[in-house]
Amino acid sequence: MAIDDSKLTDREKELANEFTATKDQLRKVDKQVAMVMDLNKCVGCQLCSMACKTLWTSLEGREYMWWNKVNTQPGKGSPKDWERMGGGYKVLFGGKVRDPVRGKLPTKKEFGDMWKYNWDGVVNSKAGDVHLQPKNDDGTEPDWGMNWDEDQGGGEYPNAFYFYLPRICNHCAYPACVDACPRNALYKREEDGAVVVDQERCKGYRFCLEACPYKVIYFNFIKKVSMKCIFCYPRLEQGVPNACARQCTGRVRWVGMRDEPNSLIYKLVKVWKVALPLHPEYGTEPNVFYVPPLSPPRLDENGKLDPSKARIPMKYLRYLFGPEVENALDTMNKEMEKVRKGGKSELMEILIAREWKKMFEPFTTDPATLDRKPSSIK
Amino acid sequence: MKEIKLTRRKFLKVSGASVALLSLNSFGFFGGNSIANATQKLINEWDYSGWEDLHRKEWTWDKITWGTHLVDCYPGNCLWRVYTKDGVVFREEQAAKYPVVDPTGPDFNPRGCQKGASYSIMMYNPDRLKYPMKRVGERGSGKWKRVSWDEILEDIAEGIVDGLVEQGPESIIAEFGPGNGGYLHIIAPHRLAMKLGATHLDLDSTIGDFNRGIYETMGKFMFMDSVDGWFFGKLLLIWHMNPVYTRIPSYHFISEARYNGAEIVSIAPDYNPSSMHADEWIPVEMGGDAALGLSVCQILIEKGWIDVPFIKEQTDLPLLVRTDNQRFLRASDMIQKGRDDQLYYWDSAKQAPCLTPLETLTLPCDPALEGTYKVTLLDGKTVEVQTVFHQLKTSVNKDYTPEKASKLCKTNPETIRRLAEKCHRAMGHIQVMVGWNSPKYYHGDLIERAMCLILALTGSFGKKGSGIRGWNESLFEGALFQTFKEAIGTAASMKELPRQMKMIKKFKREDPTITDEIASIRMERWRDANELNMTVPAFLYYFHSDYKKAWDTKEWHCPTMKRPFEEYFNEAIAEGGGWEGFVKPAKDQIPSVYMWMGTNPARKNRGWTKNILPSLWKKYKTIFGFETRWTTTLLHGDYILPCAGFYEKLDTRFPTPHVPWLTLTEQAVKPVGEAKMEWEICCMLAEKIEKAAKKRGKTKFVQRDGKEIDVSDMGKWQKMGANNIDEIMEDALETSALLGNLPVGTNLKKMRQEGIVRFTGVSTFDPISMNLATDIKPEEPIIPLTWHTGTKKLPYPSYNRRIQFYIDHPWFIEADEQLPVHKQNPKIGGDYPLRMTSGHQRWSVHSIWVTSEQLLRTHQGRPFMFMNPEDAKKRGIEDGDYVKVYNDFDNFKIHVKLTPSAKPENPVEPGQVIIYHAWEPFMFKDWKSYDAAIPGMVKWLDFAAGYGHLNYFRWNWCIQPVDRAMAVQVEKA
Repeated sequence: MAIDDSKLTDREKELANEFTATKDQLRKVDKQVAMVMDLNKCVGCQLCSMACKTLWTSLEGREYMWWNKVNTQPGKGSPKDWERMGGGYKVLFGGKVRDPVRGKLPTKKEFGDMWKYNWDGVVNSKAGDVHLQPKNDDGTEPDWGMNWDEDQGGGEYPNAFYFYLPRICNHCAYPACVDACPRNALYKREEDGAVVVDQERCKGYRFCLEACPYKVIYFNFIKKVSMKCIFCYPRLEQGVPNACARQCTGRVRWVGMRDEPNSLIYKLVKVWKVALPLHPEYGTEPNVFYVPPLSPPRLDENGKLDPSKARIPMKYLRYLFGPEVENALDTMNKEMEKVRKGGKSELMEILIAREWKKMFEPFTTDPATLDRKPSSIK
Repeated sequence: MKEIKLTRRKFLKVSGASVALLSLNSFGFFGGNSIANATQKLINEWDYSGWEDLHRKEWTWDKITWGTHLVDCYPGNCLWRVYTKDGVVFREEQAAKYPVVDPTGPDFNPRGCQKGASYSIMMYNPDRLKYPMKRVGERGSGKWKRVSWDEILEDIAEGIVDGLVEQGPESIIAEFGPGNGGYLHIIAPHRLAMKLGATHLDLDSTIGDFNRGIYETMGKFMFMDSVDGWFFGKLLLIWHMNPVYTRIPSYHFISEARYNGAEIVSIAPDYNPSSMHADEWIPVEMGGDAALGLSVCQILIEKGWIDVPFIKEQTDLPLLVRTDNQRFLRASDMIQKGRDDQLYYWDSAKQAPCLTPLETLTLPCDPALEGTYKVTLLDGKTVEVQTVFHQLKTSVNKDYTPEKASKLCKTNPETIRRLAEKCHRAMGHIQVMVGWNSPKYYHGDLIERAMCLILALTGSFGKKGSGIRGWNESLFEGALFQTFKEAIGTAASMKELPRQMKMIKKFKREDPTITDEIASIRMERWRDANELNMTVPAFLYYFHSDYKKAWDTKEWHCPTMKRPFEEYFNEAIAEGGGWEGFVKPAKDQIPSVYMWMGTNPARKNRGWTKNILPSLWKKYKTIFGFETRWTTTLLHGDYILPCAGFYEKLDTRFPTPHVPWLTLTEQAVKPVGEAKMEWEICCMLAEKIEKAAKKRGKTKFVQRDGKEIDVSDMGKWQKMGANNIDEIMEDALETSALLGNLPVGTNLKKMRQEGIVRFTGVSTFDPISMNLATDIKPEEPIIPLTWHTGTKKLPYPSYNRRIQFYIDHPWFIEADEQLPVHKQNPKIGGDYPLRMTSGHQRWSVHSIWVTSEQLLRTHQGRPFMFMNPEDAKKRGIEDGDYVKVYNDFDNFKIHVKLTPSAKPENPVEPGQVIIYHAWEPFMFKDWKSYDAAIPGMVKWLDFAAGYGHLNYFRWNWCIQPVDRAMAVQVEKA
């Protein structure tokens, strides 16, 4: 909805200018740490989710949150149908204007409630009388959760298709949440570009939940503040990679400096161009990138393989990763074929990641070598 | 640190007001008083880094210890760091300190999975057991009382002595699994059961993880490479395995092999999670895999895409078979005092039969691979002989051309040809990634025999990245050795070792042609029958439970079983049937006591609610289990022994060559409540048993075979002279170094520094480690079978001491299974249009984590079944509906998840429903789980014995109930 500048008072114009300047300041970073996730290595195990869970979201009011989660695509994900909830920007005039898209506020049940189980009944009743069942906070039977539609996917047998999509906050260059906060409680850390919610400024208005097109911000119903993935900044500060990345046993995630030409992230995103942002049309310029999924060929009506046709429809991949996805997959296929024929490929060497530690350079510190007694942090 | 200090001057310079106003408007800031809120504090100063310590403080700890998870996950052995704060374990993170072994491949870091990453949550889950509990109402009434350790152990001891007195030692039934115990702590109850002379049920048989077909072919199945070997394969066939769910920490070796030029092919009826990252997915009819495999072999043979030198040297394909009786041509047929198990080649130069050497694979001649010949027997009779290869070729050409096989396996013939071409291209470097799905099919042995045939024809054994895999638990033999020793310490080892060596020597004296591996197997078989009292549960089940009813149901068996099941059973247990020494408890010996540890029988034993609960379970007078959490089995039991969790005791995970390091876990915190370590509980219980027996004035009991059981020194014996678990561990490490499994000088101090230690070698003490038949090299993945395929040319432990594709046991000939063939799945459960398949789940290791409230929230938090939308629609079923699944055996209820990945039914083929296993029965209505559709059938040929390798020894050739592809119908509940 366009605004007629001429109808604004001078005070309103002044405030608007100040607003813009402040948000620019809040977005400003010295360095941007970025992450690449290779979807061809992801097994959907939720180790990343658990790594995050035990570290950040087991405390009061956070128990139901999943700052990191993995969902099956195609699917409704978490919160349920998040891709249809709006938020983000419509980017106009080659990026000169970002027109915010109104978003919906996801409910706790759409994220998945903190279910409770009837243990007493199971243990203390006659065998067979009471069986273990989950209940939502309000006593109702759950009908959604963080990974409810796992492994259901799409297509038709024998051409069914699905793959896993791990998600954290994208720590965007233009975070809609930062713009949306009337309290200016959200900002990007200058040191690493992590988007965080200042827990002391936040008053729990939840405009950020609406504005975020990826719907990765949660509301702490006990503390009455918004909370989200903090990109493990306390770890990055110590040279330790993010828990979700360091603990990923599928060796899916690379962490590094986005704009440092020698970093593997730079090579994957800028040189080989095989790592793409999710839903680039949301206009927030994510700093998490994905190597899009290859897939086995389709079968014709006689059950014969057609090696020329991947089973995930290109239309769906374009929807997720934008038009660049075709080139990215072409590059992947070409480089894989080259290696199969005995050739060498820098891209394949990066993706194999023979020496695991190098996936995170310069964040290669082993956390167990740190002395972090509770008293050591003021 | 971000500080916003906007000055008036700077503020006026800022442009782009209209953009900002657009934002404000779209976010809904105009039209209310929010504009005031939005701007209120803008010009204030604010130190944004002020709050950031909040999260920094959350990432702190008091102490770090080593941890691993003592479960039956394969291969497991992930090394973790356990972080403790304020006396509570608050998280764990992979240690990720595996050294580079082979620099040409990826390293092992950071091994772990989401279960391991959340054990710190699970150990405090609401179902965690904290105190000894005793049933106070009827069995299964849910009435429990917290009691002292003294009281519970005295009660159990009385029950055990009652059993010893009334029914004899074999009436005490011990069922131990590898889940939830560890190694030292699971050796403890083994030792207890052994001292009691209890019947010890084979764990592989009760789990169903015995790869029958690999065993039938190779004479063993407990070999595999270390998982880093996968990276080096050129063609990985993911076949009856779902590594995306079940090999989470090892999967990267597959995805990275693909980037290294390998082709990944997934073969399965459903587009399962392990298909998504494959280069190709090949659909196959449920249980139709043997037809597919044999068709690939048909093409390989027809095109000449075979490794002839390998086949001639390593396999029995050049051996001669008599066409008059389908039996091998034997030395006993041809020469005076000739051996029954020595067979013949056809010497293509001399055009005469040539004896196969028993002690080596080195060829004495150039054997003919094809042809029909005449030989004159000792009795003067002339018979026709053919090579096994000749018969195999005839068989596959007759029945398994791609077009014919396609009718059986429903795979397109062109796709089969494509697969054969891939095999040809990857010659010598194919790996069949089989899990333990195939052995759970009724004809799973035939499927695996066909897989092995592809590998043998292409020479894909004994090379980096090639082969097939089974199950191997070995290489920490010092711990296993403790089962037999009187006490810890070198002196006791030096007493016990010569005894074991003498046995090996005795077997080698009796037959000088046998290898150390075969001698070790023979020793194990003797120990199993006479010392460990191990056996398969089939006899207990047939004599004392309702499994008999299922097994005697002819319609649920394969129609090619020519005689009634009972006849085969009786023949097996009769003298000469091959099961001498293993039929226990006796038919007239009523089972009296049941104890378990590291397993959850009410969940695991097929059809438990119908087969065991109403019959066998009622016969037991005392039922007790070692557990960390409430399980369905416990809820049906009498006594609960609460055990220490994985971070509450010192131990190692059971060792495996797949991840070739011994992995330590230590006590980060004391056990919750009054829980205790299993080793400690066993020591206390042994003392109580000794005391109870002495009180009655009877400490000696006799087994049916005349062996005397003496419990008068049981307390001392159980304790092994150790004061604590550290001393037990020290002894186990020291003995393992002595046996050659671990580097010299390995001790607890070093383990506590490093957390892991890499294995160095195998030993004759344990046939399971000998089954690897290889030298473990420091800079290479473990490559099994090189003692056979390499320069040593040692024979295999199979009947004919080669990779054996022809089995001339009379029952196999009667069944027409002397060669690998395809057979249709029987309609187990009745004539219904759907087949229920399964597999290990992603969200738990068996049932250990299945009730973890956090992990439950990563799926639907309740049991569910996958079903194709077309099959559902026909039945009026929608996604999320609650349905009843039934067959002639029983029924259960479950929620449905629709997916086009499951195979739909059509007029000629059954549809597929999929339930991943290990839900607790108490998660289902009436506690009737999917096991209610599984009668637990056994293939009659499993009872064949007395034929070379077709003989039971620990974890091998163990009759096992099957559970895949059960015939069911589904309707809306």
